[in-house]
Amino acid sequence: MRKFKRIATYTFLSIAALVSIFPFLWMLVSMTNKSVDVTKGRLLPGTHLFENFKVLFESVDMLTALVNSTIIAVITTFLTLLIGSLAGYGFEIYRSPGKDRIFNILLLSMMIPFAAIMIPLYRLFGGISSSMPFLGIDTLAAAILPTIITAFFIFFFRQNTKMFAKDLVEAGRIDGLSELGIFFRIYLPTMKTTYAAAAIIAFMNSWNNYLWPLVVLQSPENQTIPLLISNLGAGYSPDYGVIMAAIVIATLPTAIVFFIMQKHFVEGMMGSVKG
Amino acid sequence: MSKVLKRASLPTASKKSIGRRFKNNYIGWLFILIAAAGISLFYFYPMIRALLLSFQSGMGSNLEYVGLDNYIRLFSDPTFIAALSNTFIYLLVQVPVMIILALFFSVLLNDATLKFKGFFRTAIFLPCVTSLVAYAVIFKYLFGVDGLINQFLLDLSIISEPLNWLSDPVLAKITIIVAITWRWTGYNMIFYLSALQNVDRSMYEAAKIDGASSFQQFFYITVPMLKPIILFTSIISTIGTLQLFDEVMNITNGGPGNATLSISMYIYNLSFEYSPDFGYAATVSYVIVILIVLLSLIQFKVAGDDK
Amino acid sequence: MKYFQYRKTWLLMLTVVTFLVLAACSSDDANSNADGGEEPDKITAWAWDPHFNIAALEIAKEAYSEDINLEIIENAQDDIVQKLNTGLSSGSMKGMPNIVLIEDQRAQSFLQSYPDAFYPIGEYFNTDDFANYKLAPTSLDGKQYGLPFDTGVTGLFFRTDYLQEAGYTMEDLTNITWQEYIEIGKDVKAKTGKDMISLDPNDLGLIRVMIQSAGSWYVEEDGETVNLVDNEPLRKAFENYKAMIEADFVKANSDWSQFIAAFNSGDVATVPSGNWIAPSIEAEESQAGKWAVAPIPRLNMDGAVNASNQGGSSFYVLDIPGKEKAAEFLADTFGSNSDFYQDLVLDVGALGTYSPAADGEAYQAENDYFSGQTVISDFSAWTEEIPSVNYGLHTYAIEDILAAEMQNYLKGKDLDKVLADAQAQAESQLK
Repeated sequence: MRKFKRIATYTFLSIAALVSIFPFLWMLVSMTNKSVDVTKGRLLPGTHLFENFKVLFESVDMLTALVNSTIIAVITTFLTLLIGSLAGYGFEIYRSPGKDRIFNILLLSMMIPFAAIMIPLYRLFGGISSSMPFLGIDTLAAAILPTIITAFFIFFFRQNTKMFAKDLVEAGRIDGLSELGIFFRIYLPTMKTTYAAAAIIAFMNSWNNYLWPLVVLQSPENQTIPLLISNLGAGYSPDYGVIMAAIVIATLPTAIVFFIMQKHFVEGMMGSVKG
Repeated sequence: MSKVLKRASLPTASKKSIGRRFKNNYIGWLFILIAAAGISLFYFYPMIRALLLSFQSGMGSNLEYVGLDNYIRLFSDPTFIAALSNTFIYLLVQVPVMIILALFFSVLLNDATLKFKGFFRTAIFLPCVTSLVAYAVIFKYLFGVDGLINQFLLDLSIISEPLNWLSDPVLAKITIIVAITWRWTGYNMIFYLSALQNVDRSMYEAAKIDGASSFQQFFYITVPMLKPIILFTSIISTIGTLQLFDEVMNITNGGPGNATLSISMYIYNLSFEYSPDFGYAATVSYVIVILIVLLSLIQFKVAGDDK
Repeated sequence: MKYFQYRKTWLLMLTVVTFLVLAACSSDDANSNADGGEEPDKITAWAWDPHFNIAALEIAKEAYSEDINLEIIENAQDDIVQKLNTGLSSGSMKGMPNIVLIEDQRAQSFLQSYPDAFYPIGEYFNTDDFANYKLAPTSLDGKQYGLPFDTGVTGLFFRTDYLQEAGYTMEDLTNITWQEYIEIGKDVKAKTGKDMISLDPNDLGLIRVMIQSAGSWYVEEDGETVNLVDNEPLRKAFENYKAMIEADFVKANSDWSQFIAAFNSGDVATVPSGNWIAPSIEAEESQAGKWAVAPIPRLNMDGAVNASNQGGSSFYVLDIPGKEKAAEFLADTFGSNSDFYQDLVLDVGALGTYSPAADGEAYQAENDYFSGQTVISDFSAWTEEIPSVNYGLHTYAIEDILAAEMQNYLKGKDLDKVLADAQAQAESQLK
């Protein structure tokens, strides 16, 4: 019976994994093919890999886009986690009716489609441009700033803090730690898996973010990966082999970040901390 | 475990001076200060501008105040009504399926004795990082008339002739639902996987000693323990579905006719595809806001989280 | 007492908040600095296809008689539409380009939505030198805003081998009606087993090609009045479309890549399309010598011609510092240089609508892929015949309504009712 369950689990997971990675495998195959073969849906690897990469790196500035996307994603991830977890912690640990009300109001900001606030936001940055050009339109800072403070992560950290043993806070106070000290020395290490999950999501959101960077970044030297891929597909006769090569390069960093972070999802890690 | 939580959520100030409580409350405000200021600036300020915009109409920058006209126009706009009902169909079918599937995966993949955990987790997560461009192209291949899905179903004799997945109104909706589920299940799984690490192992051990089956453990320990996270994922999935855009835009472009059009895609069309009417687009956006607020209130109530 | 051990951290947070508030306060002068009179040292241009319009700008930069510091920025067409709309409607011209390429069918909507944003350039070049059908969409209230770039002149690309197998020659396909095309299509399908055409059921591009050949559009001359229910060409186009679907020679596609694959893999016998599809056809080298181009079929009615348009775009200058420089650059190259147009044809295969260029040598060249046909010269001749229509404001909005009604029509709904319903819906939506 136990053995049967094992086999069933593995079979099920294998099928799910196959379905999940099929498009990814197809991309890997396609980047080795000529555009004509890609459009025909060829499923066998070809010999055009080097040619595709050559064309890709000659026709667009992939390197600049990679550097920009990395800068944006790393800074965004770090600040998002810091600000989001501080606030999520604050709302839950220092819970008060006033804060709950503020919290509910902040949640509202998740609910509007971004396209609806994009134009006023652009206007805002247009204004900032004149007094603080380093934060204004067409700077990486402008692409980062509105994305680091989101109700999403405040909500996420607050919900996770609900599962955090709050007597640890009290223990910290008795030990004479300051309130921020408790946050950094007790809460943060205890919630490592929560941070790992948040890091994955924040990195991915930032890496794939399209609409805001699109409107706020103008110069080619500020281009990010999703914008570059959008451009590759824009012509009347797009080269699908080259596009696939670009997409594979674009996908790998997030996949790697995930693979590294998921190792923190280890069963039973919490048990020892809680004692 | 629930005892621990209860104890923790009791007022912690029983033995402390009022001054200390006041100070903690004040420090608590400091914790949320940056977030509150940032969201006010980057979200609420634009949202208020958008609200004002929703009372205006006109092309591009030729806007004038029209009072509630835009809101009245909604009720007689067949495209909007089609988009609204499509979006609700997505919501009702897709969100529950995805949440359950994600929970199921995370429990399976949380097993310490499972081999190749890292691979399976990464594989199931991959869809949400796979570029939309690539996955749209391949989905259209898979669901094409002579695509793999049809061949597979034909081989198994489930269907007798190829189905028009993308040009039949009902099948196209199913395709979109499959696509969203495929893309976002792994994403939701992460939240559960990380939260499962915070569940006390000893509870499962105690349950095993009491002879509880895996199913009982799942329903009596896992689900109640993960409740805050299940609430979180169901709210963000609701928001995600009500703001659904990428899949519709890239796979069916709203068609055939308006059969797969989503509200967000309609907003996009009103703003950029048609002669831009940002006023009416803002009105439609606020309909989404109202719907999400109502649904979230219901979800908070059901989860009993609003004490 | 360590509560304030982290005082510095709190101070930092307060600084951040102050900073945000300051940013907010400084934001309201968004408009005031929109046109600072400073002349920029750099002219920027937005376009979308590196093998086509961007390449054309590069050549223009070389051909320009003066020195210009021109930065050409690549953005996908949909991206340009979003960026322009966001920038122009916010009132802040920061980050906007000097020159931008806009598709003709969208131009009126931009010109009318942002009346002060564009700079009239009619005085910089002679509009009479350009094909007449390009002028209506690129001008507003008698002022010329756009400098016409490429023609979207259509042709009927066909596989000579398939057609021959079915017993048809170039002559049989020249100057035919869509009804005749459908009959040929049935024959080709019966004799060769190949589909005649590949269509995306969500894209009514072919309907637009059909109605423009009869000088009609979704809206009347004024560009605003919805014209569907009493639109005879549209009615005929719908009938043709349905006849094609029912003739069972349509290979459905749902994506650009599948559309290209349909002819690259030899599955369809004809591709009625704008001339810009040629490079995609030529990409399949193994089919060299097997393709030819006939004039596009016409609608079966008086006044319809065997020439139409699909796509095509023009350059616009934004009313920001640098506008004179930008306009002079465009006028000197795209606006008046016949030799430059020969280079355009030779190097990027881009066919403009500048009439004097048609006499040039490059236009007479034979194309080996198309078995020595003088493709450019043919397209150029058809360009002159394209009926001029005012695309107006609502092409894509109406098309979405029509696409939904087309589904109903194909399912058997009465055509009168189909067009009447579409008309009613369009009228209520486009107030």
